[in-house]
Amino acid sequence: MAAVDALRVRAMVRRQTYVQRRSPQRWFDLFVWPMVDTVIWGSIGAYVAQQGGASGSATPYMLSGILLMHVVYQSNVSMATGFMDETWSRNLLNLMVSPLREVELLASLIVTSLARLVIGLGAVALAAWVLYAFDVTTAGWGLVPVVAVLMAVGWAISLIVIGLVLRYGSGAEILTWGILFIVIALSGAFYPVEALPGALRPFAEVLPSTHAFEAARTLLDGDPIPWGELGVAAVGLAVCIPLAVAFLLRMLHLFRVRGYVTRYS
Amino acid sequence: MLEARGLRKAYRRTTAVDGIDLMVAPGERVALLGPNGAGKTTTLLMLLGAILPDEGTVEVLGHPLPKERSEAMEGVGFAAGYLPLPERLKVKEVLRLFANLYGIAEPEPGIAAALARFRIAHLADAMATELSSGQRTLVGIVKATLHRPQLLVLDEPTASLDPDVAQQVRVGVERQCDETGAALLVTSHNMTDVDRICERVVFVAAGRVVADGTPTEVIQRFGRGNLEEVFLHLARPEED
Repeated sequence: MAAVDALRVRAMVRRQTYVQRRSPQRWFDLFVWPMVDTVIWGSIGAYVAQQGGASGSATPYMLSGILLMHVVYQSNVSMATGFMDETWSRNLLNLMVSPLREVELLASLIVTSLARLVIGLGAVALAAWVLYAFDVTTAGWGLVPVVAVLMAVGWAISLIVIGLVLRYGSGAEILTWGILFIVIALSGAFYPVEALPGALRPFAEVLPSTHAFEAARTLLDGDPIPWGELGVAAVGLAVCIPLAVAFLLRMLHLFRVRGYVTRYS
Repeated sequence: MLEARGLRKAYRRTTAVDGIDLMVAPGERVALLGPNGAGKTTTLLMLLGAILPDEGTVEVLGHPLPKERSEAMEGVGFAAGYLPLPERLKVKEVLRLFANLYGIAEPEPGIAAALARFRIAHLADAMATELSSGQRTLVGIVKATLHRPQLLVLDEPTASLDPDVAQQVRVGVERQCDETGAALLVTSHNMTDVDRICERVVFVAAGRVVADGTPTEVIQRFGRGNLEEVFLHLARPEED
């Protein structure tokens, strides 16, 4: 028997699509929040450039930063809240006593988060183009691996958050956004790592997202694809993703051993 | 069909299950009875793989848990009176979701037939969260039976239901088991349900099996007039 049953994955994707369609507040996450970010950071970039305190690249740096930050944001928040939906509607026990495998639930969350990513990213890219004449495609195909790295970072964060929610209950949900913003701040989404206080730089250097954001700035400057930087990011991911998966599996085991499912029934 | 041996489960301050053995044969209808806190739900959740026992083994339809949980659950249906249905889905969407999870690719005809069997076909387009508790329980049981499980596990299916809906549940479950030959494992505080549906009762108290047999055997063993009196005797032993 296949480890992943396509019918079950499709069923869960459909379930999450219904939730998205029928939850007006979810559209805020998908459209409004990215637009607000674009206006805030795009305008800051434009203002700094007008004051002559920075090179003309301030606006593109800010806008590419916000666009790429939303890659991490959407992939993390979509996956984590997709899981939390099952806890909010106390559906977790129904799923746990069905044939659905954990890997199938994760696969469905990845598919849904990809769809949300396309929509959310499209919104930011369109807003940046319409409002600030910033065309992200000028960075070229090199942006594809950058986006892939950031997407995987978002998923890794959500695996950790899901593990924490399994272990500590609903109170840990706030970490969906908390951990995300710590990673974003340390990764230099809007500034080079050199701008961080010295004590924080070692932490920044080990994050794959730091190297992805750095690679994006290199691309925006018109330089060739920085494969070295992307290679470091890939090595970081090769460490982070298995660690996040191992953490989630450990928390899931504890969840079953300690009978925490009764919190949601 | 279902074989659990030596199940033990302790939480921080209490031992919920203390060495339970439980077997259910194909087509058999068994009630797991006991006062609140006796360990019934913890036992059920261990039998379904949602909670791992500290000790003991569980085998469902020939599949050991937790290793082959997914395969085992393909042949099991579960519903609980206390469980809500997923939010933001219509009843027919909930049923389609679970039918797909149980491997039915085109479930619509089966859903229509199952809703009709429980006399709730008119609820197909209702939002699942807008149902009364009785309607929700009925939909939950439809959800648990769509894939014609070999073992149907029901936790307090008639809790907080009025007598009319409780009877609807009872009749629907009986008909389902009659038609499919499914075995039934049910917990309930309603001894009328148990008397009507089950051919065997397993009484649990303080996490242990204290009686196992036909209703008549168990009533005789405790020297009581009916199952309700046995229940009260086990729940309040100090009053005897």
